[in-house]
Amino acid sequence: MKSSRATSKLILAGMLAIVLSSIGLTAHAADGEMSKESKACLSCHDKDGMTKTLESGEALSLAISTKAYTESMHKKTDCEDCHSNLDSKTHGKAKTAIKSKREFALGMRESCRDCHKKKAVEYDDSVHAALIKAGSKKAPLCTDCHNPHTVRSAKVVGPIAETPCAKCHEAIFKAYSKDVHGLERVAKGISAPLCAGCHQAHAVKAASMGEGVKDACLACHKEAVTQHKDWLPNTALHFEAISCPVCHAPDAQRRVNLRLYDSTAKRQVAEKTGVPRFEKRTDTADAKDMGLDERALWSLLKEFNQDGGDGKMLLRGRLEVRSGVEAHQLSEKSKAIKDCNTCHQQGAAAFQSVSLTIAGPDGRPLRHGVQNEVLNSLTSMESVRGFYAIGSTRIKLLDYLLVLVLLGAISVPLVHMTIKRLFKGVREKLEAERLAAAHDSGKQASTGHRHDADDASK
Amino acid sequence: MEKLYIHPLTVRLWHWTNAFGFLLLIATGLQIRYLDLIHLIPFRTAVVWHNWIGFVLIANFFVWLGYYLFSDKIKVYHPELSPTKYFQASFRQMQFYGYGIFRGEPNPHHPNAYKKFNALQSMLYQIIMMLLVPIMFFTGLLMWDVGRFSSIVEMLGGVRVVDTVHVLLFIVFCGFIIVHVYLASLGHTPSAHFKAMITGYEEVEDEPKQNAAP
Repeated sequence: MKSSRATSKLILAGMLAIVLSSIGLTAHAADGEMSKESKACLSCHDKDGMTKTLESGEALSLAISTKAYTESMHKKTDCEDCHSNLDSKTHGKAKTAIKSKREFALGMRESCRDCHKKKAVEYDDSVHAALIKAGSKKAPLCTDCHNPHTVRSAKVVGPIAETPCAKCHEAIFKAYSKDVHGLERVAKGISAPLCAGCHQAHAVKAASMGEGVKDACLACHKEAVTQHKDWLPNTALHFEAISCPVCHAPDAQRRVNLRLYDSTAKRQVAEKTGVPRFEKRTDTADAKDMGLDERALWSLLKEFNQDGGDGKMLLRGRLEVRSGVEAHQLSEKSKAIKDCNTCHQQGAAAFQSVSLTIAGPDGRPLRHGVQNEVLNSLTSMESVRGFYAIGSTRIKLLDYLLVLVLLGAISVPLVHMTIKRLFKGVREKLEAERLAAAHDSGKQASTGHRHDADDASK
Repeated sequence: MEKLYIHPLTVRLWHWTNAFGFLLLIATGLQIRYLDLIHLIPFRTAVVWHNWIGFVLIANFFVWLGYYLFSDKIKVYHPELSPTKYFQASFRQMQFYGYGIFRGEPNPHHPNAYKKFNALQSMLYQIIMMLLVPIMFFTGLLMWDVGRFSSIVEMLGGVRVVDTVHVLLFIVFCGFIIVHVYLASLGHTPSAHFKAMITGYEEVEDEPKQNAAP
């Protein structure tokens, strides 16, 4: 009897809510005061352990803590604002089939979009959304990162372990929690960045594409460029060609990453172009079990430039750390690499690993190994024209030429002096002959003079 | 033995600044390029010195250019504007260095204040000073701050091309300096031309059969 009354009340409350919202007088309570309708919902749902078994066998929690909800950012949002699909007549009575938690979250995504339009647009352009479009079952949906019933302000500093990114990017998060930012976040709170501080919460892009993460570093470390200029020659070039962790994660392994660069637009090509061309080259290289060679790079660029828009594509190299984990092993400033020898000598470790990266269909980078000899070859001057590091990528042929010219230049005096010495006898003989001839002509001249004088006296 | 004043003070100052500057540029350049083989000074110090010496020599180049542009001494590069005579004299000079000198024949070139270079010198020095040295300085300037000059660097084919041109010229100058010093020792005594470049006075025999400056 009691339950039928409660059900009738709920039906009434639901109907009332529909009527009020239809005439624009939503039943939002003022200043955090929960609406009657929501209170009615929570009167049932504020129960620990309330679950629904889904078709997939998963248990979907239906429990909502009133306390957590009223402290959340959604405290002014009525249950019905998001769960408008629920029919008050059947809710709680008829079984609604839900395939899985994932299917449910996918459906609920639209509710979030109704209010968070700007964030939704950012998200749609993210690598996460691209992965979902590509069929990923793991890429995060709104509710994977934000529990809609407990969501707090981004300004509230919670324990870093609660960071949703950690659920998927566990190894990276582990590295982060031990690095200079993670430790400072724990010690000082919001002054140090958490994941979204550098990668953005919704417009997440593949970190190794573009310059986004570097811009994030410089957004906080505003004095970084000036400070580097004090000791680092060619600072602008170093900033362009080296990612921050290369020096600031001193224990990381490094590599040269060749990226497609549009020289007209002056930016890395981030569009998903050329994947078939790229795959054609990489398949050939894979068949030989080798990295891409300079010929493959050159023909790839040629194809890009033949039918690839107005801009001229070229390859620009960038020094990077080899993995996302290593990019999150940032150390204190005092431990950062300042020794030029690390990179500027032949055989430097960073230049032993070379890869080519293009933007893949889902926005994530497609990579393939490149034979590291391309960095030291004269004939790859055109294909990797946008990358040169003094010492470590020097062209070997020029070294041989230097030795050859020096040997030639030294042999000029040696050969000349030797011939001169060999000709010493010839020279002395000729000199003697010249002197004799001069002597004879002098004699004749003086004899001639004497005869003239005699003749004159006669 | 007659003494002729053929190397004016400005030219001598330019020459020795250039000579020592180039030696330092070669030394620091070798250190920069061959860090794995040479360990004379730290890389960064070598880069900073290389840049500064480069700027000093660029300024010095304009001293040389200004002197010859604004004095009548520019004639030393073209005593007679006759290509036929010029090539004939060049051939005679090559013949002398490659054959005549071994037989003790006199140097076909007889220097004076307005004709101090033989035809070969005149040709080679003009190529060096008006083409190779400016390209060397220009490519060096671009690499001093690639970011600042990125559009020019890009226009020329990228930093790899600019560096290759710079290194090719470095190789040419290394070879030139060795041969230049040797030819300078072929005066009437091995030190005659070196002394002349310090004092300004070249010793010339009264009879025109003395070796000329290299």
